[in-house]
Amino acid sequence: MTNPILLVAAREFRQIAATRSFWITLLILPLALAIGPIASHFMEKDHTETVMLIDPSGQAAPAIAERLALDEQRRVLTSLSRYSESHDLDRADPAAPWAQHDRYYSDTEVQTFARAGGADHAAAVMKRVAAADTPPFDKPDPDYRIVPTPPAIAASNPAALANMLPGLINPPKKEGEPLDYAVYVPGNFGSGRSPVQIWSDGAPPGTLMIALQDTLTRAMRLRFLEGQGVSPDMADAAGRIAPMIAINRPSPGKGQEQMVIRSILPLLVSYLLLMSLMLSGSWMLQGTIEERSNKLIETVLACVSPNQLMYGKLFGTVAVGLTMVAIWAGCAIGVAFATQGMIADFLRPALAPLEQPSVALAMIYYFLAGYLMISMIFLTIGAMSDSFRDAQSYLSPVMLLIAMPFAIIAQAVLRDPSSVGVRIMSWIPIYAPFTMLARLGAGVPLWEVIGCGVTLAAFIAIEFVMLGRVFRASLLSAGSKPNLARLGRLMRGRDVE
Amino acid sequence: MPALLLDSVTKDFGEKRAVDDLSFAVRDGEVFGFLGGNGAGKTTSLRMVLDIIRPTSGRIEILGRTPGRENSADLGFLPEERGLYRTMTALDTITYFGRLKGMTRNDARREGRALLDRFGLGGSANTKIDKLSKGMAQKVQLATAIVNAPRLLILDEPFSGLDPVNQGLLEDEIKRLSRQGATIVFSTHVMQHAERLCDRLLLLAQGRKAFEGTQDAARATLPARLTILSRTTPAGLPGVVAVTEHGGQDGWTEWGVSLAPGADPGDLLQVCTERGFALRRFEQSRPSLHDVFLHIVGGEEGRA
Repeated sequence: MTNPILLVAAREFRQIAATRSFWITLLILPLALAIGPIASHFMEKDHTETVMLIDPSGQAAPAIAERLALDEQRRVLTSLSRYSESHDLDRADPAAPWAQHDRYYSDTEVQTFARAGGADHAAAVMKRVAAADTPPFDKPDPDYRIVPTPPAIAASNPAALANMLPGLINPPKKEGEPLDYAVYVPGNFGSGRSPVQIWSDGAPPGTLMIALQDTLTRAMRLRFLEGQGVSPDMADAAGRIAPMIAINRPSPGKGQEQMVIRSILPLLVSYLLLMSLMLSGSWMLQGTIEERSNKLIETVLACVSPNQLMYGKLFGTVAVGLTMVAIWAGCAIGVAFATQGMIADFLRPALAPLEQPSVALAMIYYFLAGYLMISMIFLTIGAMSDSFRDAQSYLSPVMLLIAMPFAIIAQAVLRDPSSVGVRIMSWIPIYAPFTMLARLGAGVPLWEVIGCGVTLAAFIAIEFVMLGRVFRASLLSAGSKPNLARLGRLMRGRDVE
Repeated sequence: MPALLLDSVTKDFGEKRAVDDLSFAVRDGEVFGFLGGNGAGKTTSLRMVLDIIRPTSGRIEILGRTPGRENSADLGFLPEERGLYRTMTALDTITYFGRLKGMTRNDARREGRALLDRFGLGGSANTKIDKLSKGMAQKVQLATAIVNAPRLLILDEPFSGLDPVNQGLLEDEIKRLSRQGATIVFSTHVMQHAERLCDRLLLLAQGRKAFEGTQDAARATLPARLTILSRTTPAGLPGVVAVTEHGGQDGWTEWGVSLAPGADPGDLLQVCTERGFALRRFEQSRPSLHDVFLHIVGGEEGRA
């Protein structure tokens, strides 16, 4: 004879799985995950911004363009260096600047790198020692691109430019080449009478401002030193004096970066728990309300005890939730295998927490415990309600209580997984599953994992006893909605018929 | 061993006593009527029998065992308030309840199909409940109660809400199951059904037993009423407590005669014969269960 709990659970599962909303929900998440990046790719603004240099003297513009190009090459070199370190490619040319990971690259180093062929040459050198599955180097888009200055603008005075340029910066109707910034450098810049002017649609980016300021300041210093009788070569050399700056940071995938990556999977699991709970919980709620409102409950209770009905419904709902999570996880793994490369590279460190069996076990424990704890609340609400409208009055505060702090927990965990606030939340049973799941990737002391787990188990046991009483007492009392006082009495085992 | 035994069973809901010191036994194989007005305690008693609720005090035995779900394989139950899972098909619904009562899936489906065929719903086996008419759904509900061929079938107000066709079908099923040896307990406040089906009955009033016994014994609690045609008044004859003259013709008069409770009309006929009391008609009108119900339960409820 099949256990009645399993029969109830199987029926519950089949009823939910037969609904259209189940399948729509099941497909929405993978679709959203697939469409999201595609949509953002199409909607994303081009990273490279355009700059128009208006320089009547013809002396400043080449220096600014040169400086922007140099900065761009520095970004490429830094990116190459991280790539080389990530994929263990330094041995291809240990003397190359990209094989030196611990400093800010000087202008000279960057110029040498660019003259040697830049990223293309370096990538070709690295390829000699790269493993077959090493993804190719993805060169970052340049920050800025200099666009030609139309003759009409080049010949205009500042007053005319003030009329013309605002209309050309990000105009509502794109005509011709889009323009993000226009920079006017008067021939006598720095004299105090004619300021350098920038036209922009918003606050100009810091990197552009620093490049402009550095270039023009150096030109002014040169003029000043030459005015003081210093030879041009000496003045130029003085302008190029710069300290060597060493940067000490963890290698790629370590430190804060590692913490963030390792927290992604636990955070995702925590989010999936919340999502699937809300969905499967509301379906179970509908089922329980249907049993009450359709006057089915007495027929069912003649065959199964209220406890068997309660556990059957809980197991059925947990099975629905786990199925959803399994399908979503399957889709994610399928995508990872299908795409290899970047996603696989990302997934490897993200899945690292699961390499420790204790972390994997703790994640499964907290996931299931969270499911049982919240499902029991939904089930009791269903048993007390004759209609979905009835249920809403209980459901709204409960949902707020459970779901609202989730965003705060996620942010707090990413900022500092062992902050006092996050640790306190781990000891509050209704938040413990979400918080602990989110924290597990970054590492939680064993005593805390066990302590919070035991507290949670004790809370669930008490919850099952107290809400179980409410569930049993409410099953047959259709039409009477218990108030808070009666709920309290029912939980304490009084007023039970 | 009785199929069902209640011994001094009492059930209180807070301050309210729903069932008060109720004792009765249902013999194996009999059709037992559990009669009473609204709020008399019928449903509460049956829920205690099914272990849906527990008695405050007293003892219940069902097929020789204490109430519990372990009895469900031998039990059938049709509640007063009926409903089914709207999105399940008729056959799946019957199979589900059959399995909850311990049947294998195959047995439950086979029996479910047989019942649906017998109820004329063979073609709707795979139709969802919410696509069936109310009458069809009622048949499916009955099928869920009897799919396991129960040894004890408990029906709570089974005829309420049924159209005459389904009432007939239910009566036939009760008779069929009774012929097969099942014990049937049903509550009702429609006396005609009880009159046609019950071997014995129990009258419940205000949660207390007002009567238990056969239909004849129930009727005997009412004074016998006679219609006689005689030349002289029957007043004064032994057992006669009241006489009403209904008119006459050609020297004969029709009298309505009430006998003392427990007095046998046969004894009165014998006395008339022995005394040479001329009679042209001697007609006994048998009291209905309805009259008995009003006499016993009406009095109890009137006193409450």
